[in-house]
Amino acid sequence: MFIDALKTIWFDSGFAALSWQHLVMIVIACVLIYLAIVKKFEPLLLLTIAFGVLLANLPLSGLMKEEVGSEAGGLLYYLYLGVKKGIYPSLIFLGVGAMTDFGPLISRPSSLFLGAAAQFGIFIAFIIAGLFGFSPQEASSIGIIGGADGPTAIYTTARLAPHLLSAIAIAAYSYMALIPIIQPPIMRLLTTEKERKVKMEQMREVSKLEKICFPIVVTIFCVLLLPSVAPLIGMLMLGNLFRESGVVERLSDTAQNALMNIVTIFLGITVGATANAENFLKLETLAIIALGLVAFMFSTVGGLLLGKLMYKLSGGKINPLIGSAGVSAVPMAARVSQVEGQKANPSNFLLMHAMGPNVAGVIGSAVAAGILMALFG
Amino acid sequence: MSFFDSLVVSIFCIALVFFVLISLFALIALFSKVLAAAAAKPGKTSVQVAQTAMQPEAVPQNMEGPDLSTGKLKLKGVDEKTAAMIMAIVSHESSIPLSELRFKSIRAIEEK
Repeated sequence: MFIDALKTIWFDSGFAALSWQHLVMIVIACVLIYLAIVKKFEPLLLLTIAFGVLLANLPLSGLMKEEVGSEAGGLLYYLYLGVKKGIYPSLIFLGVGAMTDFGPLISRPSSLFLGAAAQFGIFIAFIIAGLFGFSPQEASSIGIIGGADGPTAIYTTARLAPHLLSAIAIAAYSYMALIPIIQPPIMRLLTTEKERKVKMEQMREVSKLEKICFPIVVTIFCVLLLPSVAPLIGMLMLGNLFRESGVVERLSDTAQNALMNIVTIFLGITVGATANAENFLKLETLAIIALGLVAFMFSTVGGLLLGKLMYKLSGGKINPLIGSAGVSAVPMAARVSQVEGQKANPSNFLLMHAMGPNVAGVIGSAVAAGILMALFG
Repeated sequence: MSFFDSLVVSIFCIALVFFVLISLFALIALFSKVLAAAAAKPGKTSVQVAQTAMQPEAVPQNMEGPDLSTGKLKLKGVDEKTAAMIMAIVSHESSIPLSELRFKSIRAIEEK
């Protein structure tokens, strides 16, 4: 009787249901947790994503179980609705807008060209993914990794190819964390010592009125032109208006801190929880990770090449290193431009100049995502 | 989707991204000029503040994101590196992020 009870407990437990695939996923989750804690790879999201992966691969936990009739679903199933319906990425954009100073972009609007050129990798990856046999929806979701914008990648993938969500989210955030490793060799390869040494002129002062008008003008124009980007651009610009108007400090504070943190937890854990063994342990996951890297590298190349063109056209006044900041990983990509510029010329301060293309990249990747969703959604 | 189709879609998409952002460029340039013209009314005198001016605003303590500011800074007898150091020190000592500080000029004071 006692043995039978033990047997029942054992067979009802998750241990009995563990397969080798679950074990592999648990190891992957632990590696990601290690990278987040020890190596500090985008820890805010990677840690929660990794823990979501862990939870989803503990058999019989039922955290992602769908609601069937009167039977309630799992906790993460309900939280995942925020990803599925595109709510969390839009709310993250609200916080990003509240944290972002668009002053450098308004001061030098030509930064927008660099923000556009740095979306080049999205479409290179899109073409290659098509050759690998991915559908246009899947190829668009994979390509958007090259935009270097986590919320945009998640938003697009949740709309176009939700079955790839975990692989794409993990690839996007991992590569964003690896920007200081991925970008510098490409930057040094594509620019000359002379170009990297260029000191840029100080930017003009941007008035408060300009900063207040900016989010309103961008919202009206972008949303009228591409209605599919309304959730992302609309929230980004609302957050920025909170910041710049100066009359809603409490809302700005909430968007930047409390709301952002809460949504980050929900987004991370539910995206991670989609990485169950059946979905994740496939050859296509490796292909996605490789294509994501290609997208990132070509986006950097696109920004740098246009930066070089602007260097020529401006008579050597623009340092092409700021082009690589057109990928929208804010402010990491701008910091990389600053570091590389200072290596070539210790008196060089490129950070402010690189912030223009950097925030332009946020708009650029949202626009690219909107176009892909309009075409394939 | 064939390679050719993918290529055509990609060219169309990147062209559209450029079109949108170039249009934004034109819009920003336009509204900046309009606002600058509106601000430069005749008879209005600009006041030059010789000393370093700080304009702190209430900000959350744990705000993340780019710690930056924009604007033109006049340096008198101070090189850029020293100016950057001074701004960083002021920001640190006052516990106000650089993005919330506005420096109009930094001038070296000669000892008599």
